[in-house]
Amino acid sequence: MRLNIIIGGKAGQGINKVSQIVSNVLSKFGYFTFNYRDYQSLIRGGHNFNTLSISDKPIESHEANIDILVALDERTLKTHKQSLKKNGITISGDQFKGEGRSLNIALAGVLTKILGIPLEKLNQEIKSQFKESTEAIKSAKKGFDSQTTTSNLKKLPNKISILSGSQAIATGARNSNLDLYIAYPMTPATNAMHELAKNQVEDKLMVFQAENEIAAANMALGASFAGAKTMTGTSGGGFDLMGEALSLQGISEIPLTVYLASRPGPGTGVPTYTAQSDLDIALRAGHGEFPRIVIAPGNPTETIEKTSEALYLAEKFRTLSIILGDKHLAESEFSSTEQPAKTPKFKITRPTPGDSLVKNSSYETDKSGNTTESYTLTEDNNNKRIEKYKQSKEFIEKNFEMIKIHGNKKSQNLIIGWGSTSGAIKDAIKNLDAKFLQVLYCKPLSSQIKKEIQKANKIILVECNVTGQLGRVIREKTGIKIENRLLKYNGRPFHSDELNKLIKDIL
Amino acid sequence: MKDNLSTKEENTWCPGCPNHMILAAVKQTLSHLIERKQFKQEEVAITTDIGCHAKIFDYLNLSGIYCLHGRAIPTAIGMKLGNPNLKVLTFAGDGAVYAEGISHFIHAFKYNADMTLILHDNQSFSLTTGQPTPTSQQGYKSKASPLGTFDKPMNPIKLALAANATFIARTNARDIPHMIETFTKAINHKGFSFVEVIQDCLIFNLDANNKDKLMYKIKDNIDKKLAEKLADQFDYNSKNGKIPLGIIYQSNERCLAEKWPQLKKLLNKKSGWNNK
Repeated sequence: MRLNIIIGGKAGQGINKVSQIVSNVLSKFGYFTFNYRDYQSLIRGGHNFNTLSISDKPIESHEANIDILVALDERTLKTHKQSLKKNGITISGDQFKGEGRSLNIALAGVLTKILGIPLEKLNQEIKSQFKESTEAIKSAKKGFDSQTTTSNLKKLPNKISILSGSQAIATGARNSNLDLYIAYPMTPATNAMHELAKNQVEDKLMVFQAENEIAAANMALGASFAGAKTMTGTSGGGFDLMGEALSLQGISEIPLTVYLASRPGPGTGVPTYTAQSDLDIALRAGHGEFPRIVIAPGNPTETIEKTSEALYLAEKFRTLSIILGDKHLAESEFSSTEQPAKTPKFKITRPTPGDSLVKNSSYETDKSGNTTESYTLTEDNNNKRIEKYKQSKEFIEKNFEMIKIHGNKKSQNLIIGWGSTSGAIKDAIKNLDAKFLQVLYCKPLSSQIKKEIQKANKIILVECNVTGQLGRVIREKTGIKIENRLLKYNGRPFHSDELNKLIKDIL
Repeated sequence: MKDNLSTKEENTWCPGCPNHMILAAVKQTLSHLIERKQFKQEEVAITTDIGCHAKIFDYLNLSGIYCLHGRAIPTAIGMKLGNPNLKVLTFAGDGAVYAEGISHFIHAFKYNADMTLILHDNQSFSLTTGQPTPTSQQGYKSKASPLGTFDKPMNPIKLALAANATFIARTNARDIPHMIETFTKAINHKGFSFVEVIQDCLIFNLDANNKDKLMYKIKDNIDKKLAEKLADQFDYNSKNGKIPLGIIYQSNERCLAEKWPQLKKLLNKKSGWNNK
């Protein structure tokens, strides 16, 4: 069973509230939801919409063809009418204008009734969210009573939790006992900052907003040097500004973890939309040659796990760890019954100022930490950095999941993808003879990838960028060029039904 | 007294460079404070920028980071976020702070972290062979500015006052006792203390040198109006004005670690985050 609902309107009309309430009701009723948020870079007006996808089985994507269209304005009707299936339902917000501020609650009532969920489930959700709920409950009933049920959902026993990628970054960081998150606001990285800031005192951590990303990255290095578990986060433009500090990390070997949440560039690009176009900079930003780790989780559960791994590896190998996500992962709301793997816990045991003499430098240094221009030390230090990378690679191969295989594991048809696109791929191949190789570690790259490619008959690369960045990395590492490429770069993620057709056409 | 603040590194400052005197004054200041048990040597952490001044990193037996050009201030503030109990000193130059890192300079006064900025101002980018900095005088000719510098110099003391600095002082690299007195007061100030050290460069921008006859010592000042007047007396451009030395302005505001409950807790516990 799969249903897709678009709820659209102007910014400020409360469309998020509708999808949030309905998702919560559905998840408590045992149904899996995926909520895609499509919004513009403005605070009031414009056209925003959410696609709420519902299933009785796990899903991690939304579909292009919709069953129900809830329109809070005329523009939503016009924009999305053609996506409505044959017997699709249209609900206009106009008929509940009288509900005022509770308009979105009335619409939640409408959807609850259409889906065939008892009104009391919605009322419970309203009561848990509002202190003063009498008015909202009246509006919910009005919406509920105005409809007839079309899909009679039975209660399912699934224990589901809903999480966004941003919340997952924060959860992973808290699991690893992060001390400091130092950042400058930039969509779509900022929500992770908000999540960590919310209960920072109780959580025994601190969120500090620096004057710019250059300051944020250098402060993070200073704080890490002083003995704090530190992380910074930004999107592409801010990450560019951090480039020099990343290079400082490389030579000073002060542990640093960076969360890079991509959006379409170049320049300011399309700031509130999504793209996987920053893998190249994640892998290469910063002058000189130095080791780094780049991990790209595909859903919130993986994000929790990989954030902790990134922090752990940064400290263990005194290296740069980058967690690479994007707007689609950061701001979509995923539902899951999975529990993240056990956190790799750690304490900072390296010498830190306060009790030891520690010298770290942006220059090449000798054993004492002072500047050197010696040719032998310059070469030795470069060799040590390479050696460290090899060690980190061996450790990761032994201890952490670098790739995942989904779908029909015996299939000769291999789909390769990474990050937030993984959800749509997983859902797209459910009825196809295909297996999906999800790359989690983009650096180091798993040696398994080459073997999988060699075993396959047909290989398709799926990415949300113009040049197939992961494909290029794979080619660099394996010498294999993947000819079939499904690349989307209009700022919107793949719909799973759209992707299903595209893959089918190639197979 | 056994000097434990020195290293065995070869000193590569030019012979006669006032940086030698700044180094001597810093060492004496710190030895006194360590001897008086105000803090331990291992509790001191320094950041240095990039430039001639920054070589001090190699000559001081202290923890620290030899930072990126322009970024010595945010790195130091990071150290204070990472452990507010550290005694943090930043050494930076007029090129580094007023050009590449000016945004950090302005914001540092706002955060008011309890640390000290020692700013070596020789009105020249000397390590890169003498290009003009934001405090170079008008008309200064260098390889990069053969037509002469057209712009009037920036007045960092006025900028610091406008940015709500809680401690601004000026001293002279030729006057070791005055440097020691000023550095000690700066380190003892609770909040972000900014000390401008006027120094000559013996190789580049020689026209800016020898300002001693314009200098005079002032009493410690806490009056903002007077501070503004004092700041106006030297314009970094002509040699007509007077150059006041001493504490130009000091006020008492909550410092970074007092504002944040998380850091306050670490201050009270006298520990870093590791034992939170």
